Amino acid sequence: MHSIIRPNTHVALRLPSGLLKIVEIIPNTNINLGKYGTFPTNKILGRPYYLTFEILDSEKEKYKSAVQLRVVPASELHAEALGSDQALQSTVEDEGTSNELDANGTEGFDIVDEEGDVIMRNNRLTVDDPSRQTLSMEEIEELKKAGAGSGKDIIAKIMASHLAIDEKTSFSLAKYTLRKSRKYLKRFTALPLDIGTLTEYVAEKEAYKILELREESLGLICSWANVHCAAESRVQTAEDGVSQIGGGRWLVVDDTGGLVTAAMAEKMGILYPTTEEEEEEVDYLIKVHPEDEDIAPVISKAAQEDSGITGEAPKSNDAEDAATAEPETTKGSSNNDKTAEQTSKTPNGTHEAPRPTRKPHQHIPQMSAQTNTITILHPNNQPNVSHLKYFGFDTGAPAVSHPLYTHLKSVSWLQLLHPMEDPSYIEPETISDDVLATMKSSKRGNYYKKRRRWEKTKRVVDETRAGGFDGLVVASSMETKTILKELVPLVRGGGKVVVYSPNPEPLVELCDYYSKDRRAAYIAREFGSRSNGKKARIGAEDDGIDESEEEDDFPVNPTLLLAPSLQTARARHWQVLPQRTHPFMTSKGGAEGYLFTATRVLPIEGKVEARGHGRSKKRKVADS
Amino acid sequence: MNTTSPFLDPCTHSAAGSLGVLQLKRDHLIPAILSASTDSDYPEGKVENTRFGSYPHSTLINQPWGTQILASVVDTGSRSSRSKKRKREKKDDGDDTPGADGSASADAEEARTALVKAATASSGFAHLVPPTPETWTLCLPHRTQVVYTPDYSYILQRLRVRPGDRIIEAGAGSGSFTHAAVRAVYNGYPTNSNHQDDDESVVKRRKDNKKQGRVYSFEYHAPRAETLKKELASHGLDGLVTVTNRDVYGDGFCLDNEDEPNADVVFLDLPAPWQALKHLTRSPASTAVLKSVASDPSTPNDDPPNGASEQTQPSKPFRSPLNPKRTVRICTFSPCIEQVTRTVSALRSLGWLEIGMAEIQAKRLEVRRERVGLQEEGLRGANPTAATVHEAVKRLRDVEGRAKVFHGLQKEKQEQVMRRAEAIKRGEKVPPADGEDAGTVRMKDKIEGLPPSKHDRLERAKKDLETRALFKEGRLVHRTEPEIKTHTSYLVFAVLPREWSKQDEARARETWE
Repeated sequence: MHSIIRPNTHVALRLPSGLLKIVEIIPNTNINLGKYGTFPTNKILGRPYYLTFEILDSEKEKYKSAVQLRVVPASELHAEALGSDQALQSTVEDEGTSNELDANGTEGFDIVDEEGDVIMRNNRLTVDDPSRQTLSMEEIEELKKAGAGSGKDIIAKIMASHLAIDEKTSFSLAKYTLRKSRKYLKRFTALPLDIGTLTEYVAEKEAYKILELREESLGLICSWANVHCAAESRVQTAEDGVSQIGGGRWLVVDDTGGLVTAAMAEKMGILYPTTEEEEEEVDYLIKVHPEDEDIAPVISKAAQEDSGITGEAPKSNDAEDAATAEPETTKGSSNNDKTAEQTSKTPNGTHEAPRPTRKPHQHIPQMSAQTNTITILHPNNQPNVSHLKYFGFDTGAPAVSHPLYTHLKSVSWLQLLHPMEDPSYIEPETISDDVLATMKSSKRGNYYKKRRRWEKTKRVVDETRAGGFDGLVVASSMETKTILKELVPLVRGGGKVVVYSPNPEPLVELCDYYSKDRRAAYIAREFGSRSNGKKARIGAEDDGIDESEEEDDFPVNPTLLLAPSLQTARARHWQVLPQRTHPFMTSKGGAEGYLFTATRVLPIEGKVEARGHGRSKKRKVADS
Repeated sequence: MNTTSPFLDPCTHSAAGSLGVLQLKRDHLIPAILSASTDSDYPEGKVENTRFGSYPHSTLINQPWGTQILASVVDTGSRSSRSKKRKREKKDDGDDTPGADGSASADAEEARTALVKAATASSGFAHLVPPTPETWTLCLPHRTQVVYTPDYSYILQRLRVRPGDRIIEAGAGSGSFTHAAVRAVYNGYPTNSNHQDDDESVVKRRKDNKKQGRVYSFEYHAPRAETLKKELASHGLDGLVTVTNRDVYGDGFCLDNEDEPNADVVFLDLPAPWQALKHLTRSPASTAVLKSVASDPSTPNDDPPNGASEQTQPSKPFRSPLNPKRTVRICTFSPCIEQVTRTVSALRSLGWLEIGMAEIQAKRLEVRRERVGLQEEGLRGANPTAATVHEAVKRLRDVEGRAKVFHGLQKEKQEQVMRRAEAIKRGEKVPPADGEDAGTVRMKDKIEGLPPSKHDRLERAKKDLETRALFKEGRLVHRTEPEIKTHTSYLVFAVLPREWSKQDEARARETWE
């Protein structure tokens, strides 16, 4: 994954200002970066990620196609930081003003000259006066309009027009250069749109949509939930012979638009539609089969439309989808077969189909994977996992080829708790084959569609209710105690429970519901009522008041979780430059992000006496 | 039956021969390779003895994970050096009764054939949980500084480690990162030892399509490398980790096998990461770069090994340990800022990009209920001062009220005494008992209406305690735990994009433009 830029994927471009821009890479279109310029998509297609490109504008606006990109070598990117002594010989390829600038910039960092005299200037002479920049704003605007090249010449002119550039200390000069570069340099870096980049992107714009999650919180969540790839695991039957245990299945309550789900899917190896080998083979593929279904039609089609922009985008996308769907389909099915074999649950084993042709369209049931799955619980009819679109998974029309098509399951709260009230859970009437044969094809299709939908719902709901999940991850704005009350029992013994909240209070409350004292009180009460005989219990249950009081005191069963703990982590980012290493001066505030973690356990019935808490000793002291 | 590591797929039950973790308290976990063998000092077989009771392995094996295990009655002998003592006892027995040798060994044999079933103790319990990198990090035997969960989770997240990746770890240390890394890259065991149900096509497809995730672990310290190897084997992870005892500064990362390590991700937990970086390049680094990387006036003794490696390098053809087709990511883990600046400058010289440094500040919070109030007088775990101004005023009033009454009584008594004394002086006859009685009755009446004495208050607080629901009283508060790790290490991150030659560019241009 993520070594070279592929068509019809999302890519994050980091602009000189440091901001990210997400673009979909549609061949034969242009990408507009605002003041930083415009360039054709094809100029970065097929190139590796993490390269920094410089937009070399042509003189005339008309000939956009003449825009050239130059890959900025690492040595040039680091030239300033490395200082003149380490600036490598091979670096500077550019002629003219930029060379001067580089020399200027690097020279400034010498704090000690050849004779060993300290030539570092200090800020004693600094004059805080905007008039020292002789270029007026209009003149700069003029320069920008006329501007050819990558913006370096503008920066050079600005620097040259500064009256007191040589009075600046080397550090302030470096800062000044950096500030100007951020503004005028026409560069961008192409980053793969993965979890980290997406998190940064959303956090910058709409942090509330992802509950202000940061990368470190995501890492903690996935670690503590023990999320990992379990493609080779098996679902096992529990002692009772009915319920299932394990198999790498995780339950998720996700109010982050699918970001948490995506992070987990990444760890489980089911987030990205293509395997890395396919990716690696791309250039091979391009070379050897240029007219292979995968890419060629898209290009030719789009090319015909003469770089049509917005209107064409979804079309070519579809074409690509349709083209890729088939080879992928078999792949998905064989994958599916593998899991089926392993679990010997679904009688379905036709992976002999070699290269499929268009006609025998094999139906792969959605959400049919047995292992390595994520089951998402959602409060609405459909789960909100909109962030998955960046990874090629559209919930509205999921591509069969995408691993999440079979591995991501969704269940609504209604389906989980009261399945019979959900119409899609109720079996549609069966129609005999004879009758079916007489029906119109559209009706027949409808009938099968309905059956399939019901089968899917029934399968997913039933297996979710059967429990035995390896872990539970909650990142929700709903009241967590109500979530845990229903879901903790569905986690297997030894499974992990992780709850994320942007604020500590909900989790503090949760810790309290699982506190040692409350657990003791709960056991004492259970134990006490049981010794009184079952009748007393039944009586209590009939009594509405008692029950509600119980609900208040024990909204969750505190004996089901072991070692509930609360933690938080924050990454502090640093600037590392020669002689100038320190933490960044400012960073984002907002929610700290807290994590509740615990292990699901199977408590022994009845009262259990703890030992060795050192309590008796103290009591003796107090008594004496 | 199940050869998969309990870290990756723990099955439903604990099994003999695999690792289980006994959790006693949140941070008190005991790892144990569960053993059904009888080769032990105890008649119950192997036993884990803790402050919270003894747990024979026989009570731990074949239990559903997460089960609450009750402690057993095990004769642990005296607390100190019990095994020694037991042995001594055995010897003593043998010496005392000549010819009992045979019987003792017979006893032992009997024990070997059938374990004594452990009797459940009256108190004490623990939970049997499956091992995870997190639980392991909490209970592993420390050999070096441990990379803790907040750090390794961030590192693995930021390095975008995914199933199927190959990761180089240098400076394996205690192995906490190793375990976490295995979990992150795991996507199945190597298929050399095939399952029977895999027909040929499946095997072929797997070989063709699926890269197996793997950890390449390097450790300079030979005994540590050996221990780690054994540890991983006992955890069922030896099929997924290659442990190599090597000085990576001098000898680099390439293994004998042509396509190993072919790494996508690198994690360096070394004292001088910059010395290892010269081996982590896509093409041989120029001598100028090497010099700039190595040169630093503060550590002149760097140069000899560097010079040596430069000399040896030409003799061997260059081979990159990195995956040529993929972006390679790196993280170095160094506690000191000087290490960071040198590492970063080396990374810059060697063409790494997106260089960034961060430190993780993690803390755990404790949650508790804080009870404040006069009702807590004499109770433990609470603050028995007045909770409100009102309460304080009331208490003051009570005290003053009592004092007033007592003073009044005192005065009365004194006056009475005086009166009597005077009467006696005057020669009058006074009936003593009568007056006395009236006095005490009056006093009792007065005291009756008074606020309770301290003694009474304490008594009452104790009595009330039995009916109070302490678990929901008081204010719910949270605070940072008493001990925090204020600094673990600085994390330097960087990426090395795939190499992009003029030919590559020409080819891409040809395809797309």
